[in-house]
Amino acid sequence: MASAAKNRFKQDEKRRDSDHVSFLKHRKFRWLWIALALSAATIAGYALIDQQPRPNGGTWYGYTLGTIGLALIVWLSLLGVRKRRINPGAWSLKAWTSAHVYLGCSLVVVGTLHTGFQIGWNVHTLAYVLMLLVIATGIYGVVVYATLPASLSANRREMTRAQMLEALTAIDRQLESAAQPLGRDEADLVIAALEQDTFHGGALARLTGRYPRCATARALRGMDSGSEAATRVTALLEKRRNQLAQIRGALRIRALLEVWLFVHIPLTIALIAALAAHVISVFYYW
Amino acid sequence: MTFLIRTIDFTAAGREIIRDRVLDQTSLTIGRAAENDIHLPDLAVEQRHVRIELAADGNLAVTALGTLGFGLDGRTVSEGAISLSTGGEIALGAARLAVAREGEAILVTIRQVATDEGAGDALRGFALASVLPNKRAMSWLLAAAILVLLLMVPVASHLLRTPVKNDPKGETPGQVVLDAAWTTGALSLKHRSLEDNCESCHVNAFESVTDTTCLSCHADTGDHAAMPRLAKGSPPLSPGDAIQWRIGTALGKEGPLGCVSCHSEHEGQVRTAAGGEAFCSDCHDKLDTRLTDTKLANAHDFGKAHPQFRPAYFASFGAAQPVRAAPGAKPVERSGLKFPHDVHMDARGGAARMAVSLSRYGQPLECKDCHSLQADKIGFKEVKMEDSCEGCHSLVSGRSAGGGFSKLRHGDVKDLAEDLARISSGPRAPVAPRRIRPGQSGTYRADFGRPVRAYIGLSNALSAGGICTECHLPTRGPTGQADLMPVNLPDRFLTSGFFSHDAHKKEKCTDCHAADTSKAASDLLIPDLKSCRDCHLGATAVKTKTIVPSDCAMCHAYHLPSGQWQPKGSAPHYKPPPVKTTVAAIAAKAKP
Repeated sequence: MASAAKNRFKQDEKRRDSDHVSFLKHRKFRWLWIALALSAATIAGYALIDQQPRPNGGTWYGYTLGTIGLALIVWLSLLGVRKRRINPGAWSLKAWTSAHVYLGCSLVVVGTLHTGFQIGWNVHTLAYVLMLLVIATGIYGVVVYATLPASLSANRREMTRAQMLEALTAIDRQLESAAQPLGRDEADLVIAALEQDTFHGGALARLTGRYPRCATARALRGMDSGSEAATRVTALLEKRRNQLAQIRGALRIRALLEVWLFVHIPLTIALIAALAAHVISVFYYW
Repeated sequence: MTFLIRTIDFTAAGREIIRDRVLDQTSLTIGRAAENDIHLPDLAVEQRHVRIELAADGNLAVTALGTLGFGLDGRTVSEGAISLSTGGEIALGAARLAVAREGEAILVTIRQVATDEGAGDALRGFALASVLPNKRAMSWLLAAAILVLLLMVPVASHLLRTPVKNDPKGETPGQVVLDAAWTTGALSLKHRSLEDNCESCHVNAFESVTDTTCLSCHADTGDHAAMPRLAKGSPPLSPGDAIQWRIGTALGKEGPLGCVSCHSEHEGQVRTAAGGEAFCSDCHDKLDTRLTDTKLANAHDFGKAHPQFRPAYFASFGAAQPVRAAPGAKPVERSGLKFPHDVHMDARGGAARMAVSLSRYGQPLECKDCHSLQADKIGFKEVKMEDSCEGCHSLVSGRSAGGGFSKLRHGDVKDLAEDLARISSGPRAPVAPRRIRPGQSGTYRADFGRPVRAYIGLSNALSAGGICTECHLPTRGPTGQADLMPVNLPDRFLTSGFFSHDAHKKEKCTDCHAADTSKAASDLLIPDLKSCRDCHLGATAVKTKTIVPSDCAMCHAYHLPSGQWQPKGSAPHYKPPPVKTTVAAIAAKAKP
């Protein structure tokens, strides 16, 4: 009895542990080993099999590599479908993600060998380049997912995103009343700072963290420090700027975390279209 | 210390009601209970929630009295400080208490805020998606652009074009739009003009380029052998290739012996390369095991396994066709000529002395005095008696009326007979002064010689010891008359290969052809395999100063008949010009 209970405990522990294992380390790097084996096998085949008249996509080995590559690309792109299907079944989303990452990387080998290193300005190379871009953005995604969340949490300083916005609103209300004694020019500067959208700035500003048209910064530059009211407004504007800096820090990390998907996803769909054009055109002009 | 408490409320109509009261005390308590200095009737607020008092450092200290914290400048804390110079905002339930200094007093402004229903929406601003175009829209746009431009437009224009039967000259280019994006690489140099005219080779959709299409231009390309023999002689395909060809032929591809399986295009702007050694040895290495009736010996490497040369030669006098020597045999050539090469090449012999004395030679004879290369640099032009022999072996028969020399015509015995007859009846010195016969005009002339003389002269010339038999062999014609053996020499000795004499300019002729020691014309002076192997070994041999790795294509061509493959010059498998009728051919025809 005791041993059965012990086993049960062990099993549960194992399950609990596996819940916290990264998709990269899933099942002791099972998919990494599969991907490495696939790459090694294709390289060995390329080196050993005599492809006449020269290695390219049209030899039997080339067709084999192309078929493997096409199947992999279609399957890996189905991760987008799989992750939206939350239903029971003997499939693990973590395993899918792990396979997606590692087999995706092995596609560099399979795809490159399929080209036979023949590159040109055509639909075939377009598909190849799109595949490389998708893989590159995917690798970027894995790297930022592994490194950036820590800095995202450090930037938050125990504040939720809603609290950050609330803090800004609180500062804005104080600014509004504190700015009452100011003259026209300075009041206009404060109005501009208050009216500017919290999320002002495009994707580039978010990614770089540079906001050259920030109205709060401009108001700070234009504020006279003569009167007591101006000093108070300046102090509040500085608080506003610091609060904005925290929000923008969060925006920057979030943008760095998310930007790859805006390339990865559309290019994946473009890649599937280019693959269709590649396969059909090759056999259309056989 | 004075606290100025300002409460801002709104009437149902939206009008603002402001009430001020002054509390003169050192600290303030805020909560839901009525005894607090500021009473907030809000269930989210504790009975006694927060105390505000002046701290020692001049700031206001705000402390939570219970376990529940409060909002200070948007952050939830249980204690905090408000600088009097900048002020601060305390959030308790729906109430916002702005704390700031006004004059000497501390102003606490209380207002109610509506619960922010848009807060969730505001949080969306944190996502990058709020400033970038929609991923799905971008995906559809890119995919649609690729599918339309790179697939649908070429396919549609291909299907809607007016097909032309064959258009190698590119007279109807650009019928298929944007199919340049489909090319897998530039065309070879000879096909470059077809670069914008894909449909001239890719005629039908989903149909591999057919032999018919290739042959519509390359009609004169010879076959290597008949297709069934090629198939029988080919080694079995590798399992991978076999599967590919099975699928390919099932889908209408023309099998591994079709044009395109060797001539793969779109490999860049290059000259089509000759097949490598393996290309030939795949079949010819063990050809006899598959083609049991073949006359060809196995070959796979010039240095290691190549059959002995079998030059073509005339094995009997006056034969209609040359025969090929048996491997390793020492052929006796029956050309019908007498020609001791050694006599002519001996630098101290009579021939040399004669040549030195003649202005056109001025030195002992050299090979090139008689033998000159043809334009293809492979074979030699026919040696003409008039050009090469007559300088010494004169056929001058007398002085001509104009002060020159008359000579016997060479080449045909009938011409010779006529010339000899003319000599016999030619003008002779007058024996008496000219006289006119009565009743006749013109000079009187009479030949009192015997009419048979001319025939005796011809017979003398043709029989042993006569002028003709210096070089020719005497024989008898069908009616027993004196005649000469026809001269038979093949146009090429090594008929299945190419030997570029131009590439061997640095060698002396006698390095390979033992002409200087050959005493009779019956010696066939074609070098053997061994002498070639002094320099030429198979393609896998290591190149040194003396060893030239040589693949099959250096001497052989695939499509027959054809010229020699060359990296420059005319097309690899051009059909050589028809051989001009030679003396040998005339003679052979004249005397069957």
